[in-house]
Amino acid sequence: MLDKNAVGRSSPPTLNEVEKGAIRRFAEAIGDYNPIYYDEEFARASGYPTVVAPPTFPASFHSSADLRELLGVGIKSLLHAEQVFEYERPIFAGDRIMVSTKVVEVLEKTGPAGKMDVAVLDDEGRDEEGKRVFRARRTLVVRATKEVA
Amino acid sequence: MSARKLYFEAIRVGDELPALAKAPIDRVQLARYAGASGDFNPIHVDEAYAKSIGMPSVYAPGMLVVGFLGQLVSDWSRGAQLRRYGVRFIKMVWPGDTVVCKGRVTDKWGENGRYFSELDLWAENQRGELVLKGQTLIQMFYSLEDENRQRAGQAPLIVAVPRQSLAAQVAAPPVEAAPRASESAASAKKPASGSKKAPPRERSRSPMKAASRPKPKKAVARKPAPKKAKRK
Repeated sequence: MLDKNAVGRSSPPTLNEVEKGAIRRFAEAIGDYNPIYYDEEFARASGYPTVVAPPTFPASFHSSADLRELLGVGIKSLLHAEQVFEYERPIFAGDRIMVSTKVVEVLEKTGPAGKMDVAVLDDEGRDEEGKRVFRARRTLVVRATKEVA
Repeated sequence: MSARKLYFEAIRVGDELPALAKAPIDRVQLARYAGASGDFNPIHVDEAYAKSIGMPSVYAPGMLVVGFLGQLVSDWSRGAQLRRYGVRFIKMVWPGDTVVCKGRVTDKWGENGRYFSELDLWAENQRGELVLKGQTLIQMFYSLEDENRQRAGQAPLIVAVPRQSLAAQVAAPPVEAAPRASESAASAKKPASGSKKAPPRERSRSPMKAASRPKPKKAVARKPAPKKAKRK
């Protein structure tokens, strides 16, 4: 069972600078050639201030979060079960976004394979003025290295 | 090259998005995605490691497929702003798999000059098996006129459009000139929206199981799937 006290634990905000090249490589890796991710002029003609990042781009942000530290266990395996993004606005090249990770929920669920631990983590990104840009909620199925039982 | 836009007035609840068939996933793509996302979990890039822990091969990070489905929405909803995009991982995706992304408009409404639509999204592999399932909420301009007004700094066009949830329509068929007084009633129904005509063939599985279950020789059988990829 994961440590219930983990709920509320968070990592300090980490700066992520959104670079054009990083957006391009991310979009290329997905195989998405929408010119708003590559071409500044096209992006402007489409009503954006500059090149836009794809919706899942926050997956490339890093926070200083160490899941072992946040959850208080050694992790044997992690499985991504659900993911939700909420966007206040699109993310653009040149954005400087502070990203932090917080443990929102820790639960024990019983599935067909027996008991499993589920952790819900929020990654939150804020701009330099402190305004929220996005929130990314991850639901993870966690197996700890040692069953503490 | 001018940017085609999607406006609220043009979409209908029940509209299907043109399916997006992605190229087969290969290990080079997995390597590129690892580099681009900064996630170098060896389970996605190191074949020897993957086999050492009992997997038939490396497999695609779930977020890559989430990116595919995001592409489907962005391609279709050009000019719209994604407000919310949520997914549930159903099945693993392997090198050689061809993912097809699909979606359907399940609801649309307008309030105070802001216009929204909800969509069901899902991704299937070449065997027609559901691998990822999701929903999204997008916001867009009502029309070109609305966009022009707002870009000129004027007030948005205001058209009250009650929710037209697909689920509600299926339940109670043609209430075409739906009473506007029911706007609040309709929105109260909201949680039901969408899940009604959910994509077929979902086999709920324990995510845990998938991670720990070694899939002995599936990888071999997987490649030259004898059946023709079914496509609708």
